[in-house]
Amino acid sequence: MDIFVNLTIAGLSTGMMYYLLSSGLSLIYGLMGVLNFAHGSVFMYGAYAGVLVFGLTGSFTFGIIAAIVVGAIVGYTMERLVISRVYGQHLAQILLTTGLMLVLNELIKIPFGSNILPAFQPEALQSSWQIGEIVIVKYRIFLIIIGLVVATILNAVMAKTKLGMTVRAGVQNPEMVQVLGINIKKVFSFVFILGSALSALGGILMAPALGAINPEIGLMYQMTGFMVVVIGGMGSLTGTLFSSLLVGLASSYTAYVYPDAATAVIVIVMIVVLLIKPSGLFGKGAE
Amino acid sequence: MQQIKTVAPSVRKSLMNNWMLQIIIVVILAVIPFITGRPTQNMLILIFCMSVFAMSYDILLGYTGVISFGHAMFFGIGAYGISIYLANAKATMGNILLATLIALAVSMIISVFIGFLSLRVKNTYYAMITLAFAQVGVILAEKARHITNGYDGMTFRVSSVLMNKMLFYYIALGFLVLSFIFMWKFTTSPTGRVLVAIRENEQRAKFIGFNTLRYKIISTVVAGAMASLAGSMYAIHMRFVSTSVLGVAKTIDALLATVIGGMGNLYGAILGTGIVNFAGEYLSKLAKVHPIFERWYIIFGLLYILIVLFAPQGVIGLIKKITNKIAAKSVKR
Amino acid sequence: MPDKVILKVKEMETYIGQYHILQGINLEVHEGYVTVLIGRNGAGKTTTLRSIIGLTPPSKGSVEFNGEMIHGLPPYAIARKGMALVPEDQGIFSQLTVEENFKIAMYKEDKQTLDRKDWILDIFPDLKPKLKLKAGSLSGGQKQMLSISRALVNNSKLLLIDEPSKGLAPIMVETLANAIKQIKDHTTVVLVEQNFWLASEVGERYYIIDDGQTVQEGVMADLIQDKVLQKRYLGIGTKE
Repeated sequence: MDIFVNLTIAGLSTGMMYYLLSSGLSLIYGLMGVLNFAHGSVFMYGAYAGVLVFGLTGSFTFGIIAAIVVGAIVGYTMERLVISRVYGQHLAQILLTTGLMLVLNELIKIPFGSNILPAFQPEALQSSWQIGEIVIVKYRIFLIIIGLVVATILNAVMAKTKLGMTVRAGVQNPEMVQVLGINIKKVFSFVFILGSALSALGGILMAPALGAINPEIGLMYQMTGFMVVVIGGMGSLTGTLFSSLLVGLASSYTAYVYPDAATAVIVIVMIVVLLIKPSGLFGKGAE
Repeated sequence: MQQIKTVAPSVRKSLMNNWMLQIIIVVILAVIPFITGRPTQNMLILIFCMSVFAMSYDILLGYTGVISFGHAMFFGIGAYGISIYLANAKATMGNILLATLIALAVSMIISVFIGFLSLRVKNTYYAMITLAFAQVGVILAEKARHITNGYDGMTFRVSSVLMNKMLFYYIALGFLVLSFIFMWKFTTSPTGRVLVAIRENEQRAKFIGFNTLRYKIISTVVAGAMASLAGSMYAIHMRFVSTSVLGVAKTIDALLATVIGGMGNLYGAILGTGIVNFAGEYLSKLAKVHPIFERWYIIFGLLYILIVLFAPQGVIGLIKKITNKIAAKSVKR
Repeated sequence: MPDKVILKVKEMETYIGQYHILQGINLEVHEGYVTVLIGRNGAGKTTTLRSIIGLTPPSKGSVEFNGEMIHGLPPYAIARKGMALVPEDQGIFSQLTVEENFKIAMYKEDKQTLDRKDWILDIFPDLKPKLKLKAGSLSGGQKQMLSISRALVNNSKLLLIDEPSKGLAPIMVETLANAIKQIKDHTTVVLVEQNFWLASEVGERYYIIDDGQTVQEGVMADLIQDKVLQKRYLGIGTKE
């Protein structure tokens, strides 16, 4: 029983981090049709920025803020400088975002090298609670809470604000949004900034759970992110949340029984979903 | 069946139909072993193998318009097919051939599966799903340590005939030429033309009545098969295989080579492979001069982005532009 | 009193990909009237509307709206100048509620706009009880009403409507005709319509588009009389 609870908490907390990473991926693809291969790099930049600032200032809050700011800046720069030139050209988009990924992944090595950088949990969250047999790691609970808060805010923004409304409308029919007098390019920039900031937030929050970071975590988590959005359905935030938690839990349980199979299990889930409902669990029917 | 007329890239017409130029290049390559040392020969053999890999990637990227991040998986299957078989069996020519064919069959089966799974959704899905499969491939190879020796890699023996590097140079050159001819025939065949039509406008190709999914899967199978053969040749050359042959980085090498060289004409892939390998070698030597050159990959990354944005025909396209200008000038005179 | 020309299209040409769809469109739309664009399937009527609002920007020619040259502007900027489009597929956001479909269209949520929304809902009373429902749950006719209502909510000077009768039951088409008659007192309408009954019921002026060119124009009442012209360009009467 205690093991089950611990695995569930670990799975949910990892799942929440997948959500932070994937929600941007899903929104950017859903709205603009851009499959952003540099999204994981932003996650990694968030982790580096956060760990660095946390180390310098001793404040984890500052670390989080730094990660969000860096993520937003990197995302905005990529969108304005490169990606906005090729809206509508899917092949060129993937080629270019891949190029951005390569450059970003190499650039980070100039100051930091390719070795690992240790990442610590903030002191207040280092300990754990013990309830009978069950040991609950505070940091894991912290991650789940943050994830829930972000998911709630994000859903509220999407449901209640005009901007959110525009994004939802744009996912379905970007042309019509323009005809209604809305400059969709501004909406694109906004979503890119939002998605990148969320990804970077995921990066800094994930770092202490990993214990150490390196430039490779970007591509590694991006791959999981892709599988999450394929399973959940592109463009659906609800689907992304559900799928993130599903993937988090599945890999957590599998990792306990047979660690080597954790990734394989996600892939198998993805294959099954693709065979049964190619547009994803919460995806729109036919495209 | 309705014939689709495709607008052949102008690059193809002039440069490519020039068989003289091609024969001259092959003759030069055939003479090189007599005038250069062992390191250059080895480098060229490597480039020959990787060129076939890059050309097979071009079939996907340049001719069909889909991007794979798991193409190295097929290369790796070809390489591991040889290495695992020869580590456990006698290194006779028959066994080598058998191993190559087994790997080829496995690659083709897997490429049909992945193609069916992802391409029926959307072309962009192919990129994501191949990435996932590639990762599983790496993990499998890592975990099967007792067979593959993981990241540290495995060495094995090949038959003594193939140890003769001078001879193997010509085998590799022949492999490159034959692969080129095969893929050239494939891309100019009716099937190849349908692929280009799909790349240009899939809706229209569908509308005319082509089962585009089937054609795209054919494309992935041919590309997968050629990549597998390239991997087998690579393994025979190196007599060493590690999990790096399966990784995303290997695929990205082919992507860089194809885009920098110029996609959609096979030549670009060969030229690009040459550029990436020689420039990479040169730049990494410069790392001794200044540590900034350790990050030479950034230069490739930036070059690649600029090419995608401003010169989508790649270096081949640029050469073509320049020769056209010169030709135009001489006509004026 | 001379009419004011609110939209003037001169020698407009548009390519879609490699296809030369529009090869010379000339239009003069007078303020306060319903101008109908008619012509065969594939003649270029829809592309004409899309080119005017900038979705398929014209490569040649000029579009003057309310005294301003607008060709080359992005669609959102053209829309902001007071033009609205009701596209052929209605362009309803089915994942949003009916209310949200209105909201997203509103430039301002001031009293004027909200009053106008009430006025629109009086024209289309069917929509009133559906405001909180997902737009995807509406019937085909209700979607058409929503699309037209949404286009009216900003007091646009010009309303482009693309084949509103498509796929609607005859009784719905009648409702639509009544609605357009009420709307035209407030805004100028350009209507693409294949349904000759609807076109003649609400149209005051007409243009015939054939093979991407405007070939004939005039007063609707004349066209209704002119069976030869109808047969030549619209194929009407060939079946009987």
